[in-house]
Amino acid sequence: MERYNAMNISNETTDQEKKIKITVRDLDLFYGDFQALHKLNIDIADQEVTALIGPSGCGKSTFIRTLNRMNDVIDGVHITGTISYETRDIYKNYDPIELRKKIGMVFQKPNPFPMSVYDNVAYGPRIHGIKDKRTLDEIVERSLKQAAIWDEIKDRLHKPALGISGGQQQRLCIARVLAVEPDVVLMDEPTSALDPISTSRIEDLIDELKKSYTIVIVTHNMQQAGRISDTTAFFLNGVIEEVGATEQIFFSPTNPKTEAYITGKFG
Amino acid sequence: MSPLSQTKKAHLQEGIAKGIIWFFVVLTIVILAWIILYVLYRGFVSINHLHYQVTDTIETAAAGPDHPAYPISMIIQRKVRLKDDLTSAELFEMYTKRRQPNWGDITGQNLDVELFALTTESEEGTAGAEIILANRENYSKHVTLEKDGEAMIKAVSSTPGGIGFIPSAMVETLPRSVKAVPIRRIAAPVNASVKKIVENVQIQTIDNDDLLAIFTGKVKNWQEVGGIDLPIRPVAYSQNAGIRGDILNLVLGENNEPAEQGILYVDTPEVFFETIDSLPGAIGMTYWEDVKDIDDRPMITFDRLEVRQNLDWHYLVEAPARSGKWGGISTIIINTFFLILFTLLFSTPIGVLGAIYMVEYAKQGRVIRILRLGTETLAGIPSIVFGLFGFIFFVGMLGLGIGFISATLTVTMMILPTIIRTSEEALKSVPLSFREGSLALGATKLQTIAKVVVPAATPGILTGIILAVGRTVGETAVLIYTLGSNYELVRGPSSSARVLSLHLYNLFSEAISFDRSFATGAILIFIILLVNYSTTSLIGRLNKKAGK
Repeated sequence: MERYNAMNISNETTDQEKKIKITVRDLDLFYGDFQALHKLNIDIADQEVTALIGPSGCGKSTFIRTLNRMNDVIDGVHITGTISYETRDIYKNYDPIELRKKIGMVFQKPNPFPMSVYDNVAYGPRIHGIKDKRTLDEIVERSLKQAAIWDEIKDRLHKPALGISGGQQQRLCIARVLAVEPDVVLMDEPTSALDPISTSRIEDLIDELKKSYTIVIVTHNMQQAGRISDTTAFFLNGVIEEVGATEQIFFSPTNPKTEAYITGKFG
Repeated sequence: MSPLSQTKKAHLQEGIAKGIIWFFVVLTIVILAWIILYVLYRGFVSINHLHYQVTDTIETAAAGPDHPAYPISMIIQRKVRLKDDLTSAELFEMYTKRRQPNWGDITGQNLDVELFALTTESEEGTAGAEIILANRENYSKHVTLEKDGEAMIKAVSSTPGGIGFIPSAMVETLPRSVKAVPIRRIAAPVNASVKKIVENVQIQTIDNDDLLAIFTGKVKNWQEVGGIDLPIRPVAYSQNAGIRGDILNLVLGENNEPAEQGILYVDTPEVFFETIDSLPGAIGMTYWEDVKDIDDRPMITFDRLEVRQNLDWHYLVEAPARSGKWGGISTIIINTFFLILFTLLFSTPIGVLGAIYMVEYAKQGRVIRILRLGTETLAGIPSIVFGLFGFIFFVGMLGLGIGFISATLTVTMMILPTIIRTSEEALKSVPLSFREGSLALGATKLQTIAKVVVPAATPGILTGIILAVGRTVGETAVLIYTLGSNYELVRGPSSSARVLSLHLYNLFSEAISFDRSFATGAILIFIILLVNYSTTSLIGRLNKKAGK
């Protein structure tokens, strides 16, 4: 109860100036009999970067996957509580297909499809019914430019996507998500499989993208969370221990567990 | 133990292990290469020991004993693929047979023999009749008579499968469409005592070298050439015997001299046969046509090793005849491809869709486990069991009869498990991240499967299909009871047909031709190599396109 109050306080201070995109209330998630997430409550603000931090196995990835119903794919997962996207309950009033079009996702390991760069980016628009070659060309170019990879890749659009470097593949995956014009982009440790240079390019990109998208990012790397996020949520054992403005979480955490984690006592 | 000796021991172990692995690798490669190369070798080269009543001695210009001044030469039309020569026995058979003879028995091609002879009004015509018919019989009704050499050449050259004879002098000026064929007509009658069985020994055959050794005096006893213990008494015509007097020198050739002692010379055929009949251990050489009582007379059989080209393009393009004894295998190759095509047409969609269901849609519970166990069991069942099933179910219960449709369905049943299992593995090996990536873009499950999962699994699925094609091409047991053995082109769903493996089985089991069995085997190997190569390159291209 104490924790809930603390969160409400921190939310109250932000609610006044920020528009809330996603609201999570009393979310429980079970893998069969095992409860992985306990009574999560969090508001995700529009055009901000929300970072989810915490030690391995604390439920960050599981949580981010509930936001666009990717856990539906896994057998034996069921949830209680509500997640609302723009006030509509995503589990009751949304078709997952429609939802995922609005809430895209970038995964930990770059996962371009085994086809050409162009076909990868055009995949989303194509399945949503765009057939016109010129429109597709425009979408591909715009998405690749937004993902800051156009200059590197424009001469190799028709080469296999699996042939480009890991960092480029991840930016291609981001471009692929942007091509369906989502509202929210979920990123599940997007840089953990990349080298430092690729990581910094992705971070710059995230900084650029937050001007037009709402971004939720899971990260293992606290410096990264500090550098790029506006709001940070600290997860521990399937519970959100603390959520607040990134500066507040990093410099004056209210929860002793957060402080212990931030200062490297565990994790 | 010191660290140094431990290192040494590790090195030694490594060396021994490497050696063993290397040995087995080499052994495997040698065995595989040997099998494939042996079948291909026997497919391309036929090596046969053939038995003849006549010696190896050939005559391009043959004169009849009563017409020594008018030698004749046999000519054939070029289309006849006769490699070397004809024997008197073959000529006699052709020219007197009641039914129209066929070249199939001699050259393997399915082509009627068109017989021509010169009228007996000319000297050469009488000589030809003497050589071919031995004055024992008349020409059959299939023989066309021509008045002279010119007309003969014209007739033979314009008739496919034609054979005839001309005065030898005209051989020099033959047109390209006709060629002269040497004949072999020297036989070796023996005294009955030579062919007796004594202590389980009986002479079987001798070869040309043995014959030369006998008449040059190098061999004195039948024992030395595989017969019983009996002195050899060679009998030959003397120089007074007219044209027959040349036989001895003709057979011996320029490099051999007849034995100084021991050869008994005779002047006439009557004396020759009297001598042979009365003298134990006697062997003589005379024209085959001189031997009037050919079926009763003891004669020496000659063994000849014939090494020839076996598989040629004619075998691929000609239709089979006489159970595959004559002609080629063109219709059978086409039937084989039809069977592959239709089997794949049935089995690929069912197999791949089944695998998609099992991997992507079905709940991974007990039902799927049972289904998987079932397909695995079916994949291991001997094909003859499928043949039995197909025979009872498709042929009998459904009343489809023995024919193409029953065979296709039965083979489909047989290869389905293979396709399902390999497709399943291929689909399972597509990373989950591809599926998630697609779903996260708002794709439906069907779109994800059709556009991402199946394309990514295509190389694996293709591998399964090649395995299935391999099984189809090599399948015999299933087809014996469902496809029948008609070697004509398949005409419809219910027509009986024969495919390559079945043809090979029939050729071999009915002892039709060993050479043709190997030729068919070589073609089978080629088809498998072709299918494997083209699919491997296709998979390579797919992988390259995907960037793997």
